[in-house]
Amino acid sequence: MTREPLPHADPPARAADLRLASAWLAQHDLAGARPTPLLASRLAVRRRARLAAHVILAVLILASALAAASTFGDPSPYRPLPLLALTALVAALLLAQSLLDWWVRRVDRRAGATLSRRAAHLIQPGWRAVLGQPYAVFAVATFTGGMVLVGSALAVPDPTVRQLAVVLLIGLLGVTAIIAMQLRHLLRHPVVAEDEESLTADVIMRVEDARDLTTPNVQWSLPMVLLFGTAPGWWSAASVAYLFLGLVACVALHARTPSSATVARRAMSVR
Amino acid sequence: MIVIDAASPVPPFEQLRAQLARQIQDRTLAVGTRLPTIRHLAADLGLAVNTVGRAYRELEEAGLIETRGRAGSFVSAAGEEGRERARRAAADYAAVIASVGIDAGEAIRIVQAALTSGAAAPASS
Repeated sequence: MTREPLPHADPPARAADLRLASAWLAQHDLAGARPTPLLASRLAVRRRARLAAHVILAVLILASALAAASTFGDPSPYRPLPLLALTALVAALLLAQSLLDWWVRRVDRRAGATLSRRAAHLIQPGWRAVLGQPYAVFAVATFTGGMVLVGSALAVPDPTVRQLAVVLLIGLLGVTAIIAMQLRHLLRHPVVAEDEESLTADVIMRVEDARDLTTPNVQWSLPMVLLFGTAPGWWSAASVAYLFLGLVACVALHARTPSSATVARRAMSVR
Repeated sequence: MIVIDAASPVPPFEQLRAQLARQIQDRTLAVGTRLPTIRHLAADLGLAVNTVGRAYRELEEAGLIETRGRAGSFVSAAGEEGRERARRAAADYAAVIASVGIDAGEAIRIVQAALTSGAAAPASS
């Protein structure tokens, strides 16, 4: 696909990246396509960005757990300081995510600048093509379910449970904001491609990333980490049902929806 | 799909204009299709915003696209209407040729000559 190596790339690392790119192509039924330095570079950046995004979410879970832990053993559980600290941390994590997206765009732009040919879609793949309606419905249902759990915990008269519900609310709103920011970046950041193959690879990456984003790891974890056992039995049962139903829906979605490569090819065929 | 080749002797704005015009004329892009914003397409293709803006402006002047304020640029129906007018004129011409008894080969040569002189000095309608 491309003819020139990317500048400032470490040769051994690039060779490893090329091997990974070759495996990625084979995994997505693109074994006929040659792994290029452009694809290898983009996949390497994507791996690092995904790892960093997971760390951001892990920090959010840990911080929520710490804010919740400060509630226990306190005779007056209404303490605004941990909540304020958690809110500030959520804002900092949003900033970190936006910097991460900016870094990915910058690396992509530099990779694109080395290409002598550039290709782009004339009809941009929108959220329906990239995320798909079933995954969008699943994401909205997950958010709604989480908010229902928060609302029902806030209605419990126990002050400790209510304080923990506020922590859960901040955590869930925080993770939703981070995911919304990532989705926006996925849908809007410029394409870096030089031909039809690299354009298809770009769409596959977007579809995969969008699907990964809708897997609600944090939304499932937070109610369990923060309130399970402390809240009344009916609430704990509801949170288990939320997790179980979400898991079943998630497995069904992955099993019944076409692969990201198929979705990408369909998107390319109408463009 | 649009491809811009930086090594080509054809300027990037002309490559973009020609590819867009071809896709509109062969109906790959249907009437009413929303085109990407100038800024977005410039970022995707690694071009300056002015370069894409110039291509869009020329397509608009040719009646192939229309800009509807903040809603963006859309493939115009004017191109389709122009094609329909050309079909009607061709049918009229064919009727004239048949009535005066000119053979098909000569009729085509007359059209070619008219197109050649028309390209040099467009006739007023």
